[in-house]
Amino acid sequence: MSVEAPSERRPLIGLLLRVKARSLSNRAKKAMDEAPIRLSITVLLVGFIWFALYFMFKIVFRSFERTPLEATVALPLIFNFFFMAMLAMLTFSNAIIAYGALFGKNESAYLLTSPLTPLDVVTLKYIESLVMASWALVLLGLPLMVSMARLVDHSNRILFFCLYIAFFLAFIPIPGALGLFIAWLAARAFPRRATRAVSVLVGVAILVLVIWGMRSLQTADDAMEAWLRNFQARMRFLRAAFLPNYWVASGIDHAIRHQFFEAFMYLGVTIANACFLSWAVVRFVARYFDGALDRAMVGRGDGIRYVPASGWGVAGWLFFYLPKSLRTIATKDLRVFMRDPLQWSQLAILFGLLFLYLSNMPTLRIQLSGAGWRLMMPFMNLCAVSLILATFTCRFVFPLISLEGRKLWLIGLLPMKRSRVLWAKFAFAMTITLAVAMSAMTMSLIVLKMNLFWSITHIVVIASICFGLCGISVGLGARLPMYDELNAARIANGLGGTTNLLASIAMVAVVLTGVGIATWQSRHLSFFDTPEPSSIVLCFFSVLTSAIVGLVALRLGGDHFAKAEV
Amino acid sequence: MTDKVIDENLAVSLQGVRKCYGTKVAVENLTLELKRGELFAFLGPNGAGKTTTIKMIVGLLQPNRGEVRVCGHHVGSNGLAAKAKLAYVPDQPFLYEKLTGREFLYFVAEMYNLTKTQRDERIARLMERLDFSEYIDQLTENYSHGMKQKVVLAAAMLHEPTVLVIDEPMVGLDPRSIRTVKDLFVERTRAGGSVFMSTHTLDIAEAVADRIGIIHRGKLVAVGTLDELKSQAQKDHSLEEIFLGLTESADEC
Repeated sequence: MSVEAPSERRPLIGLLLRVKARSLSNRAKKAMDEAPIRLSITVLLVGFIWFALYFMFKIVFRSFERTPLEATVALPLIFNFFFMAMLAMLTFSNAIIAYGALFGKNESAYLLTSPLTPLDVVTLKYIESLVMASWALVLLGLPLMVSMARLVDHSNRILFFCLYIAFFLAFIPIPGALGLFIAWLAARAFPRRATRAVSVLVGVAILVLVIWGMRSLQTADDAMEAWLRNFQARMRFLRAAFLPNYWVASGIDHAIRHQFFEAFMYLGVTIANACFLSWAVVRFVARYFDGALDRAMVGRGDGIRYVPASGWGVAGWLFFYLPKSLRTIATKDLRVFMRDPLQWSQLAILFGLLFLYLSNMPTLRIQLSGAGWRLMMPFMNLCAVSLILATFTCRFVFPLISLEGRKLWLIGLLPMKRSRVLWAKFAFAMTITLAVAMSAMTMSLIVLKMNLFWSITHIVVIASICFGLCGISVGLGARLPMYDELNAARIANGLGGTTNLLASIAMVAVVLTGVGIATWQSRHLSFFDTPEPSSIVLCFFSVLTSAIVGLVALRLGGDHFAKAEV
Repeated sequence: MTDKVIDENLAVSLQGVRKCYGTKVAVENLTLELKRGELFAFLGPNGAGKTTTIKMIVGLLQPNRGEVRVCGHHVGSNGLAAKAKLAYVPDQPFLYEKLTGREFLYFVAEMYNLTKTQRDERIARLMERLDFSEYIDQLTENYSHGMKQKVVLAAAMLHEPTVLVIDEPMVGLDPRSIRTVKDLFVERTRAGGSVFMSTHTLDIAEAVADRIGIIHRGKLVAVGTLDELKSQAQKDHSLEEIFLGLTESADEC
């Protein structure tokens, strides 16, 4: 007796979510059974960085506690900036993840041939991309919350915590819905190169915003007060009442000040808008999903032809110093990287922003007349470049080994040791990061006319940080791989990727603390002066630290990769 | 688009269907009908348009021209009713890797609203037929391609669909399983169901198909029973020779 699926609409989203939950619990059980040490180390590292962030935020809020007047002015502005940045970043990552989940995976196609409706599938993918894109924000937002609690009375802290978490959770669906809509639009409008289109569109939007932001920082008046007034005026749009960042920032600000009625009002506004936007976008995308999926599939079927020679030539030149076997692997990686618009466009955005910032340094009206500032500004640039490099290596270098997972049979048959594959990945990552980092730092040092010793030191330090970061990302990439995942963004967002990010930031923090102390000791030096021996020793040990960390991580990863079975 | 049932006896109907990938025409003016209780084998060289046709039947692709119906229901305008009648096994079997085979089958059973008794009885029967009971409680990520294929086939047959659409069903299966799957298809058609199977394994098509269609460069170059194809090709040889002859002559045209 045949049992046909009911042809009436029957919501099955609950069943889909149960299956996903079951899948997740099986994954966790497997990780605990097969790799308890790996899991424990990951949890420990996450805990370590969580506490480091907590203490960092605590210092910031302690200073606010001492200067309540400044806090009154600065806090809402900081929150507004923070949530506006989050809105942009989460929209971007949700768009990328939602596109991959809806149009790039077999699962959607499979589910659509079952009795599920497009609404069920789109709702599931919306929830999935929300979780994938936003869990790290929630995790990292918690230390901010706990450290911020010191500005709130003991008696009101529980209420503040609840409100704070509620604001985060209410905020997240807004960029999620915008991202889902962008993903659908990309599949409709640019079926052949949707990911490239999304990346370029978002990249252009970010660049326009940054150029506008940099112009906002400039003013003809050198006086700090006038500059501040001008800056505040130009930033006023961030506090427009129709923007989600304004609702959340104002709500948290009111909660800190124990104005809970106003805080609840803003929470209500955020929840109402998040619910409406999610409902409208999910319904709309589901209604027109078939057409978008058809266009995305047809776009993939219309093959693009590539000319082989040119990329090889550039790559050959870039990796001239490597032995032939390693050069072949590095060249292959570069070619794959350049053909994935999702990868190179994010890289272009990241480093485009960095160079834009550095090239605009001379136009900033920051008083650089003091010798201390002349030394501290390049140090702050060093910090910025290092943190961007940490983000870059986590996003792009960490997934390299995992992405080889399904080709390990081929790598295993290559006439070379597996550890050499790791070195090829390291050389590939190191060449690119070093080229970009050195150019950025040299530009910064020339613009700021820094002391000669410190110029050379900063160049050596950034090179050593590149070494350490690439070592960590390649090493941990081999130690904590996700061989069954094909999406680089998902690999970077996973538990291993987060561990890698935290380890990278920890290493950068340690190295920069040493260099920072030495820089502060030398703040009175002129261009050709040599610093104190203690400063030189501190810098030397900082450089040594990153080199050792990089080598140890590579060794750990190499041992594991040599024995990897897929 | 109206959704009145045109012919109760037709399981699948494609009328003047055309599908393009950009400037490339994947399927051109395809008219094809599959009757209830019929096992249809769809043959063609790589890139001929077999998978595109199958994806249009199951509603994953929309034709640029023409219409596709499953059991009389228009796939584009009444997809849910059409999907309720069919099951699809793609060429790349999809499974949730962190579920066991049994958990996956339970999921499918619940989607198709089977009772617990129906579910357990059918899973036990199919697993025994496919000789898979030993592995059903392992995570599917540990399965070989053939094992995945068995689970996906079982999932497709679990709700005993009116129309079974399968893209390359035998890839990765061992000889015993191939025999079992062939038997299952024949039993399905005897029970009144229909099977639309795309394959490169010509002797399987020869052995079990009621009718065979050959598509080449997006056009249906031949359709009929094996005997009809033989007379069309004017050869009394194996299906392999007929297939090669028909696709070569289409190239010359």
